[in-house]
Amino acid sequence: MRVSKPCIAVLVATLCPALMFGGTISGKVTYTGTPVKQKPIDMGKEPSCAKQHATPITTETVVTGANNVLENVVVYISAGADDTTVPSQAVTFTQKGCQYIPHVVVLHTGQELQVVNADQTSHNIHPMPTVNREWNKSQPPGSPNLSEKFDQPEFIKVKCNIHPWMAGRFAVLKTSHYSITGDSGGFSLPNLPPGKYTITAWHEDYGTQTQDVTITGNETKSIDFSFKAKAY
Amino acid sequence: MNKHMQFRMGFLYLALAALCAFPVAAQDAPDVGPHPPQPMKPMESHIGKVTGHAKDAKMNYRRYCAGCHGDQGDGNGENAVWLDPKPRDFTMATFKCRSTVTGTLPTDEDLFDTIGRGLTNSNMPIWNTFSDQQRADFVAYIKTFSPRWEKEKAGDPIKIPAEPPVTIESISHGKALFTKLECWKCHGPQGKGDGPSAATLTDSKDQPIRPYNFAGGGDDSRLKCGSTNSEVYKIFITGVDGTPMPSFADVIQPNDAWDLVHFLRTLQVTRHSKENDVLKAAGGKIPAYVEKQSEAPASQSENKAAGGGN
Amino acid sequence: MRMGTQSRFGGKLPCVQFLATAALGVVFLILSSSQAANALPAFARKYGLRCSACHESWPMLNYFGQKFKDNGYQLMNDRDAPIWQNASYWPITLRITPFWSRESVNKVAVDNTATGEAKMTTTGFNLGGLDILTGGTLEKNITFLLVPSSDENGAFHFESANVRFDNLFHSPWLNVKMGKFELDSFISEKRSLTLSASGGGYQLFHFIPVGDGNIFGQVGDNQLGAEWMGHSYNDRTRLSAAVFSSTDGSPDVPYGQNSYTAFFAGSQAFGAGKLGVQRIGGYAMFGVAPTTYLTSDGVPIPGSGIGNKSFSRIGFEGLFYLGPKLDVQVFTQHGSDNAWFGACYGDIISGTCDPANNNTNGATLPTGTRNPTWNGAFVETHYVWNPQFTIFQRSEWVRMSQQAIPGTPSNLGDIDNYVFGYRYNPFMTSRAGFAFHNEYSWIRQRGTSPVTGTDLSTNSVMLGFDFDF
Repeated sequence: MRVSKPCIAVLVATLCPALMFGGTISGKVTYTGTPVKQKPIDMGKEPSCAKQHATPITTETVVTGANNVLENVVVYISAGADDTTVPSQAVTFTQKGCQYIPHVVVLHTGQELQVVNADQTSHNIHPMPTVNREWNKSQPPGSPNLSEKFDQPEFIKVKCNIHPWMAGRFAVLKTSHYSITGDSGGFSLPNLPPGKYTITAWHEDYGTQTQDVTITGNETKSIDFSFKAKAY
Repeated sequence: MNKHMQFRMGFLYLALAALCAFPVAAQDAPDVGPHPPQPMKPMESHIGKVTGHAKDAKMNYRRYCAGCHGDQGDGNGENAVWLDPKPRDFTMATFKCRSTVTGTLPTDEDLFDTIGRGLTNSNMPIWNTFSDQQRADFVAYIKTFSPRWEKEKAGDPIKIPAEPPVTIESISHGKALFTKLECWKCHGPQGKGDGPSAATLTDSKDQPIRPYNFAGGGDDSRLKCGSTNSEVYKIFITGVDGTPMPSFADVIQPNDAWDLVHFLRTLQVTRHSKENDVLKAAGGKIPAYVEKQSEAPASQSENKAAGGGN
Repeated sequence: MRMGTQSRFGGKLPCVQFLATAALGVVFLILSSSQAANALPAFARKYGLRCSACHESWPMLNYFGQKFKDNGYQLMNDRDAPIWQNASYWPITLRITPFWSRESVNKVAVDNTATGEAKMTTTGFNLGGLDILTGGTLEKNITFLLVPSSDENGAFHFESANVRFDNLFHSPWLNVKMGKFELDSFISEKRSLTLSASGGGYQLFHFIPVGDGNIFGQVGDNQLGAEWMGHSYNDRTRLSAAVFSSTDGSPDVPYGQNSYTAFFAGSQAFGAGKLGVQRIGGYAMFGVAPTTYLTSDGVPIPGSGIGNKSFSRIGFEGLFYLGPKLDVQVFTQHGSDNAWFGACYGDIISGTCDPANNNTNGATLPTGTRNPTWNGAFVETHYVWNPQFTIFQRSEWVRMSQQAIPGTPSNLGDIDNYVFGYRYNPFMTSRAGFAFHNEYSWIRQRGTSPVTGTDLSTNSVMLGFDFDF
């Protein structure tokens, strides 16, 4: 039986770290101060979307949970884990109810992004990169998914010009070691071989923070990030 | 003899004056700004048989372009603050008028044509006064401002199939597409640039930008990237990068695209065109489009837009 | 033309005066540089283009500026109509030239010498006349130009006043203008880079033979009439035809009852690769002017002129670029006046000719009188070191080929004129034009000194500031 070389490479890449190393960095992201209140969105100009939301949704620039938890923070290894393996699985980015789901999508450079329009209205997907190439594509209802890639690591704002309230982020990273905070604010970066790492936490409005962590073996190191909320 | 004396006197004055003037000349006034980046990259452009060289455009760029586009090509010339829309920032290497797919670099010909065509509804003049060589030199010079031109190749030019005849059916289908693709959300039901999203539009530098008003001009009205039907076709297939205008390349079939072009021409109500002639011959009204086969129903939203149009 | 009466200085300490001027100049230069940002030349402000976009070196037009002018001061984008301008926009430009100069004439008529002639050299501060230039669109494709111009003493006249209908029937080939305007030539004396007293004007634009009575014949003066002008979309081809009263631009038709002149010009430009775009063309002017006047108490009555006699001026024009920095203008002329003008019949209204020279019944030409004819050419070179610094020269020669009166020295009235200098613009924006100007010129006309009839020569040194806003 012949197994292609890429196939073996993928197998080794996925299995080996899990089997051989068990270092984990985990923690929680919180904020201090009072975040700016998110504004309700008036979708009156797009009734097909408005009727999908029983109560008006709000902007998602800063999403918080109980106990000062900060959501939508991408925590990733920015140095120490050079990771050139591009995940073969595509990441999905859905437009539904004139909202981006998820609000922040994390991608590896070169990883496929599938853009889905689940709405009954046209959207245009307009990423606004500065390092990568800017493009802008229309996606009317019922059209096939768009498949795109980004070559350079960058946090990219994406918007729909037709529905100006729609705002999302593509976090394009050079690593697969990332975690994005949900309503618990927690993150976990498992399967790390021993070594010195720089951990970066990025939030679309509050910017980035970094911490250095050294993993010596099969251990779990706990670090927390705390962002100072902007009052405006 | 007398004359010679006078000549000599003249020279003396001139020499003295030059001595006094040059120290002042040596220090540039702040308005002049830094000179274009050096050392100059040996960038070339190729337009047909003409090869443009960046270094040859240096002086002319300063003369003709830098006032708006800036010595560094960043769109921050001394006039930029007064202009709307803002001058192109060449360091971003994002260009509106391309023959290539969205997100790719334009071809040298695209830039060459844009310089000679000018950009309507902006302060970019029609620079058709240069020799082809000079214009090609400008193209090469513009390409020195972004490293992208060294790393990437220009995108593949899109293919434009032959234009089918203009018929009232074609116009009618174009109108249905205008509704279905929601062109009207920005351009307005009558193409007057007054759609519901028009007021909120911004370009990639967060500057307000207006959608094109098709009804705005007469016979000499130009569109941003040309005035022929195939140039209109090109605009919505390639998109206008750096603006809210997206590419429809993935979502429209070539024949449908031509139908849309034919309909767009009828939005230019005061312009003489074969499309307007066909429309007039059909009684001046665009009939509702009748679905032929398995296309997704568009009639609902069509009615909505037809209420505003005629 | 721009010079006038000169204040009389001793002329013995030019060096001290010069240094004082230069010092003052530097102060002025610095002051001007820091304040210039608020000054607004009309078109540059309207369109937000640097001076250098339209001017090879202000005020000389480049190709793009010529096209802008040919389009009726329009870029032909959608912003030409004044409705697009800020309401406070006012299309006005003021231009004036304060300067210091040294003028030296080799022979002036004096009582103090045996020959009755002496050399005279005068230095002093002076002022060029003021030009107020307003122009632009009244509405898309309807444009105007109004140039009230004053001499340095404040006496005003209208240098230009015309209205033009552009692009009739959407065609760049149909542009019609009426009023007082500059004759269509892509080499323009009004936009000359030379300013000094003896080198500022183009001799061929004003040449009339010695003793000639033609009131007209001057291609360089703005004329009252109507003009058709057409050009290709990119202005490579330009054509024009104009008809105007043979009054040399004077209002109120002071000479002939029915005297008209026609002027034709055409040119073609072509790209020459790296050298740039070259333009060649030609012009021809044919006209008639009166030689016979009704008189009242022996005084000729203005506007009563009949007995039209003809004259012509034809020539070649060329503007050649040798790369982005060097250009050469070439202008030639073959001129011919009717023998009656040659015998000084014609201008008895303003006193050029003896009032007795009235071509009434029975008047006869002196035996052997012929049409005076002449040939001339000039070559003007501009080296634009950088867009802010230009060095220029012009060499001009006019040679009589046939004198009207037999026995006249064949070279009487021949002109040699040489000019060189530089122009430095300390800043270059779309808001103001400002140049430090330094020029030397020398001119000699054969056989025209006032007493002895020998060669008359003049030289000028000029040092000044030419600015507009």
